[in-house]
Amino acid sequence: MKNIKSLFKNEAARKILLFFNENPNCIDTVKGISLWINGDINAIQKALNQLVKEGVITSHQTASTTAYAYTNNKEIVKKIEKYIKIFKGL
Amino acid sequence: MSESEIKEKQGFFIRFSKSNSISVFRNLCSKILKKSRCAFLDAEYKPLKRGSECNHLSTGKYLARIKSSPSREYMIFKCSCNKICLSFPVMQGSSVYGHVLFAHLNKEPDKRVIDAVRICMDLALKEFQKEQELNKLYETIRPRAIALSTIHTIHRLLSSTLDMDELIERIARLTLQVMRSRHCSIMLLDESKRHLIPKAVIDMDKEIPKTDPQYKKIKLGVRQEGGVAKNGETIFLRNSVCVPLVEEDIIGVISARDKINGAPFDRFELEILITLAEQAVIAIKNAQMYEEQERMAYGSIKTLAALLDAKSPNTFTHSDQFVKMVLAIAEEMKLPREDIANLHYAALLPDTGKFSIPDEILRKPGSLSNREYDIIKKQHLESLKIIEHLEFLKPAMPIIRHHHERYDGTGYPDGLKGDKIPAGARVMSVANAFEAMVSASPYKGKKISIPQAIKEIENNKGRQFDPEVVYAFIGVTKKPEFKNILGASA
Repeated sequence: MKNIKSLFKNEAARKILLFFNENPNCIDTVKGISLWINGDINAIQKALNQLVKEGVITSHQTASTTAYAYTNNKEIVKKIEKYIKIFKGL
Repeated sequence: MSESEIKEKQGFFIRFSKSNSISVFRNLCSKILKKSRCAFLDAEYKPLKRGSECNHLSTGKYLARIKSSPSREYMIFKCSCNKICLSFPVMQGSSVYGHVLFAHLNKEPDKRVIDAVRICMDLALKEFQKEQELNKLYETIRPRAIALSTIHTIHRLLSSTLDMDELIERIARLTLQVMRSRHCSIMLLDESKRHLIPKAVIDMDKEIPKTDPQYKKIKLGVRQEGGVAKNGETIFLRNSVCVPLVEEDIIGVISARDKINGAPFDRFELEILITLAEQAVIAIKNAQMYEEQERMAYGSIKTLAALLDAKSPNTFTHSDQFVKMVLAIAEEMKLPREDIANLHYAALLPDTGKFSIPDEILRKPGSLSNREYDIIKKQHLESLKIIEHLEFLKPAMPIIRHHHERYDGTGYPDGLKGDKIPAGARVMSVANAFEAMVSASPYKGKKISIPQAIKEIENNKGRQFDPEVVYAFIGVTKKPEFKNILGASA
């Protein structure tokens, strides 16, 4: 995984990570995620592709649907949680 | 008043003092009460924050009350630096939550000014209450809306497959995902309903092979899962949750264990798992019905093939090797699952079209005359009428009809060319030619060796055969499984 700080530089990726950190049980399509975080669907799709590549987001694909969920990797989740706390100044 | 009620009141007042509506109110009041300082005092007149108000207020030396309105809607004080202070209680019902105070006024404000400020404050309070209600609604509804959307997405993911193995694996992976657990298993009851058969066991940390003891069947009533399957009651523990899969009866159980962050499972997650189990049951039942339907369709086709074979052995049906070869090429080409199933049906009855072709033509060694070839073309279509009423064979009909077409358009019955020939028919054409060349049959021409047959097919790509299918065929012949396909003829 890339440096989390660099992932956070991208607004769409940052919104996605904040969303999944708050809602780790969520599985949704790009359309659903864009709605929850009030983001542009194209930018969100691009960021999701990048996050899937980085192993932060997992994709579940079928012929007609691609859904995205937060990684189950404990270490990555911990790192992101830690960074979010710093980011929010907690 | 209880301690928690006091804390709740204080919390409300602190949030109000920091809200957007109070900022608007302060700006407005700074224009009405010029040069005044605004401060927030709790119900006991103690300032919430030191330093922002009159210095005397922060030390409590201000209590020189001049007057208050009869219903205590406002009060006017004089602090020890001889300045006027105006305060309004912030109330909900009859409870006072705190006071908003304007200090350092140069003179006592008249009644109209006091009324205007009071009205502004009432509006600010109402606005803040609305904001609070909206926030509460947002905090309550949003997670549920996200959960609902998750369940809807899961439904879409599960309903997109009818392959049981793929479906069970998918249910397990999605369970692992939504429950944030390290371990998930899905077990289904066997036909006797006495044992649970583990169908998927997934662990985050390691791949669990089907030979692992975790894949051993368990008796009903034994272990957590067996108990749930027997009683139909959910088990909800700190580190594990097990839910029955119920249609009309119990068909199995789904369980999740150990959250990745080590936290205990909560009620919300239990609700999600129960809903997921409901979705899973529908998907499993659909897949089971589809499997049953497929079994019935294969049974009917095999019966039909046996009937045709009884009339003339090895004329209308092909060998097992042929069917295996057709399926292997289709898989190599990565054709969709549904197309492969239809191709399978077609491969079981490829030459139904020969049914009404006279035996002397069918079994004639050597090449056919033009008249004989015309008879074959005509009778091929006539014979297909035997199976056209079988609904489940409809998607396979074009494959059976067109598998004697040639890629260059010189085949029969319709002289179709290239991609106009159904993909399944192009696959069957290659497998058909290969089988004819390598099998010993008095009416199929001279038998040649397997490498020669492969070479012959390769030489005819683009003419008789679709080059893409030929590439896939060559790919199949290079695989170790090719020997299994050929079986005894290898």
